[in-house]
Amino acid sequence: MEASYLSGADVGSLLDPGGAAWRGARSERIALMGTPVGLQPTEAIRAKWIDKKIGAIGAVSVAALHDGTRLAFRLEWEDTSESREISDTTAFPDAAAVALPSAEGSPIMTMGAVGAAVNAWYWRADEEGQGRQVVAEGLGTSRGVEGKLVHAQGLWKEGRWSVVISRDLEIATDEPVAQLTPGQRTGFGVTVWEGSGGERAGIKAFSGDWIELVLQPLPTARG
Amino acid sequence: MAKSKRQLAMVMDLNKCIGCQTCTIACKRLWTRDEGMEYQWWNSVNTMPGRGTPRDWEDMGGGFREGKAKPGRMPTTKDFGEAWNFNYDEVFRGGKGDKVHLKIEGDQPDWGPNWDEDQGAGEYPNSYYFYLPRICNHCTHPACLEACPRKAILKREEDGIVLIDEDRCRGYRFCMEACPYKKIYFNHAERVAQKCIFCFPRIEQGVANACARMCPGRDAPIWKLVDKWKVAIPLHPEYGTDPNVFYVPPIAPPRFDEEGNIDESKPRIPDEYLVSLFGPKVLDVLVVLKGEMTKTRAGGKSELMDLLIAYRWKDMFGGFDRDPATIEWIKA
Repeated sequence: MEASYLSGADVGSLLDPGGAAWRGARSERIALMGTPVGLQPTEAIRAKWIDKKIGAIGAVSVAALHDGTRLAFRLEWEDTSESREISDTTAFPDAAAVALPSAEGSPIMTMGAVGAAVNAWYWRADEEGQGRQVVAEGLGTSRGVEGKLVHAQGLWKEGRWSVVISRDLEIATDEPVAQLTPGQRTGFGVTVWEGSGGERAGIKAFSGDWIELVLQPLPTARG
Repeated sequence: MAKSKRQLAMVMDLNKCIGCQTCTIACKRLWTRDEGMEYQWWNSVNTMPGRGTPRDWEDMGGGFREGKAKPGRMPTTKDFGEAWNFNYDEVFRGGKGDKVHLKIEGDQPDWGPNWDEDQGAGEYPNSYYFYLPRICNHCTHPACLEACPRKAILKREEDGIVLIDEDRCRGYRFCMEACPYKKIYFNHAERVAQKCIFCFPRIEQGVANACARMCPGRDAPIWKLVDKWKVAIPLHPEYGTDPNVFYVPPIAPPRFDEEGNIDESKPRIPDEYLVSLFGPKVLDVLVVLKGEMTKTRAGGKSELMDLLIAYRWKDMFGGFDRDPATIEWIKA
């Protein structure tokens, strides 16, 4: 998939899932699968989910744009229930994330490995506007990256979520995050949690192995 | 999981608990006054038999059976009982104090943390009940800790206190499903799980837990009751988490027969009910307690009875007897 370069007036609405920036964006449909129950990190979670379906959301449409400074993904999927608020102890918010490799060869299936981190950018419906970023070097090792560097916003309309998750291509941090440049060829993965089904943490639908992502090069500067 | 080098514990004597809720309020005032904690009662006292708090918590699973994690159910916000708002302004400050009654504003609740107080069970004149104070059991085999996928719960090596790291917690609440005692709460403002911290900031200064220190009933030294006399036993040992809060089981006054005479042929609180709470060992404990009571009634001496009476208040705190008023406490 290509993250197209966008310039001009539409850049201003890059972070808005309903914005003009996305009007012409090409979406790719990506099939999702539930995480295997055997891979859940604790016995209590495995015991609770052994007979339940994991991964309620079967597919997500993804588009990506960058403006030379910032990379944004727009994720769209069908969801008849808008779960925004944690209105009860039994209620969980809808959520989504984009994962990127921090290094060449970082394994996505195990959420990274020591020295080969995976960097994930999160949106959670109850934390509107404020995204979150983690790095992980193996299952159950994720840690937050300081700073409000990820912007994430969701819009639910007529049974469909439209969520934009974005971050600067390059950021200053000592953490092993993905550092990106226009023209780069990398990979990405997506994850969606269906809050109304109690999905959270490792209970989720994900896209499997890395999907190729090419950041369109900046137009060559004229003479 | 690494075993703690030392394990703090607590004994609650159900023959002395009068259900005054002083422990509950001591804890509330100290730890759960912030936003999002209104409905939290890290220390609760319920009447037994009863449905408890959260409602029907004993039927919610969790913990371990034969060493394997048993799936647990999440209590709802209504099962815990929400914090109620009262029409204080109207009654106390609105000039209508002689016309309006104090009442709960908004939706009328059908449950709360002490909803079935003093109902108990049995038929008059042989009805029965007792009070059961509960805090986090700071288990040796904590189901909450093992359930957390973020490793956000830790058991301190130096004293066995189980704590939730709120910086790591993302509010997934697997711990709340896994805890068979249902003593973990969700903070809706901070979006993290919270629970009894065994007053660790006090413990670290040599001060006993607020619930224990404020208790007018006086509990006794732990090891002598648990290990020497073996009269303090955990609640629901079959949950498999190895709690570190122990109970001296209750003995009620004798029953009456149909003619109104004292009938000691069977106990007022049915043995099978106590076995359902504390396991079969409770029957041995009752034999010891009754034996020692009989001895003192006949004029004899009993170390156990002296311990349970707790003549010296400070002896009850296992060395954590510093006066909290001698410390300047600062809220972080």
